[in-house]
Amino acid sequence: MTGELTLTEVARRAGVTPPTLKRWAESGVIPGYDGEWTPAAAAHARIVARLRERGHSLNAIRAAGAAGRLAFAYTEDLFPREAGPYSLDDAVRETGLEPALIERIYGAAGFSSAQLERLNDDDLQLLRYIAAVLAAGFPLVAFLQLVRVYGQALAQIADAEVRLFHLYVHEPLMRDGVPGMEMAEEMEGLARELLPLASPIMDAMHQRFLAHFVEQDVVGHMEMDLEGALDLGRLRVVIAFADLAGYTRLTEELGDELAVDAVERFVEAVENTLPDDARIVKTIGDEVMIVGSDAGGLVDWAVGFQALVRDERPLPRIGMHFGEVVYRDGDYFGREVNLSARVVARAAGGEVLVTRPVVGAAGNHLDFELIGEVKLKGFSEMTELFLATMGEE
Amino acid sequence: MSAFASADEFREVMNRCFSMMSEDPEMGPKLRDADTPQRFEFTDADLVVNIRAAREGEDGNLHWEWTDEVDWEPRVKMTMSTETCNRYFQGKENVAMAIARRRIKTGGDVKAALSLIPITKPIYERYRDMLADEYPHLRV
Repeated sequence: MTGELTLTEVARRAGVTPPTLKRWAESGVIPGYDGEWTPAAAAHARIVARLRERGHSLNAIRAAGAAGRLAFAYTEDLFPREAGPYSLDDAVRETGLEPALIERIYGAAGFSSAQLERLNDDDLQLLRYIAAVLAAGFPLVAFLQLVRVYGQALAQIADAEVRLFHLYVHEPLMRDGVPGMEMAEEMEGLARELLPLASPIMDAMHQRFLAHFVEQDVVGHMEMDLEGALDLGRLRVVIAFADLAGYTRLTEELGDELAVDAVERFVEAVENTLPDDARIVKTIGDEVMIVGSDAGGLVDWAVGFQALVRDERPLPRIGMHFGEVVYRDGDYFGREVNLSARVVARAAGGEVLVTRPVVGAAGNHLDFELIGEVKLKGFSEMTELFLATMGEE
Repeated sequence: MSAFASADEFREVMNRCFSMMSEDPEMGPKLRDADTPQRFEFTDADLVVNIRAAREGEDGNLHWEWTDEVDWEPRVKMTMSTETCNRYFQGKENVAMAIARRRIKTGGDVKAALSLIPITKPIYERYRDMLADEYPHLRV
């Protein structure tokens, strides 16, 4: 790349005065600068400005740059996030959406409302898509939840992309002692190649998951019709929580890495064996939350799963409950979810504990031993708990 | 009752299925690397098959024999009906649920069997295609 930028332009982008930038350049804190302001040197100037704002000394920044610790920042140039010339009023005129609605949508997505006064062409296009979805008749209450789910899921994806790139690309280059600028160019090149691939991969996966969940929804609707309609936004589902008994002790005995390996094996085993109507909603440490539509099927899975992993250590424990929940923002809420989470806390490794509604939905090939009526934490009423097993043949 | 016309037809279909897995460029090498000898007993057909990773000089990635007279020991043992087996390869029989429902009995190193489940999942579609083309009476 050739030097195309002026000192004044680079200083403006970095948010410093031209004399300050000149001083930095002369002190050697900007490794890409050799008399010309290339885009790479300008990018480094922005990094230096940000680090100076955070109180780092020029000497420390110079050392970090030479060691390649700042190399990742060069990939920022691949994302044209320049503030645009459009205001919220412009967006309103362009899309026909109410200003307050645009603010709600931005908030739901997790964007800062301050960005609404300096929108660029990409932002306007995004808002046009959103306006088209609402014009097509998709209910606003559902769409706002969907935007929130998109925002949370995509933020998690972006976070994982950056962290994994850092762990498996940037850090190995640093360990190999690759010089700072060379490392920056190598990483920028790789990121430039990978970025256009991410969206098609995600789109293909999204289509596959959509097809799967549409199929499951057909089954769910059938069962809902048979059992009577529920209030809007409520679903009747079976909720299971599963975790590894003694996981905390395992981290003490084996260390974090081996304990995390055990969790990964456990979560993969759950994913690989779950029935089609059930899915992992979330994982929190060594705990997974599973939701399905068929309580009888999921308790069969749980008992069979314990048989499959009987030689693993630590053993999983599973708690399960069946009831009405509130579905919002891609997650499941309510008393029944909380109750299910409390049930697993009463289980020992290798056990499947369930409540009476699960027993009522289960087939007669399983045995359910009433282990007692217990007062679960946070619940005033007693809850009957049953130990589910394959029983005698 | 199984939809297979005879034990011979079951064996023929399973031979085709094992061949597909053995020769598949993705599944075959993974199953060979997993190196997990398995013994399947099909109660209603009175058949046993032992399957293992191919040895040096053998064709394909898998080797199987319809007998217990083999010179290797199985690490995983599974007993089921031909119907359950047919449903499994069509992706219609969940292993964990089948164990709880006593449609599959397991023995040996079931942990090793668990690790084979994700490897063999791509066979479902190919098996269903084969049935649609040549054995439509076996589709479920």
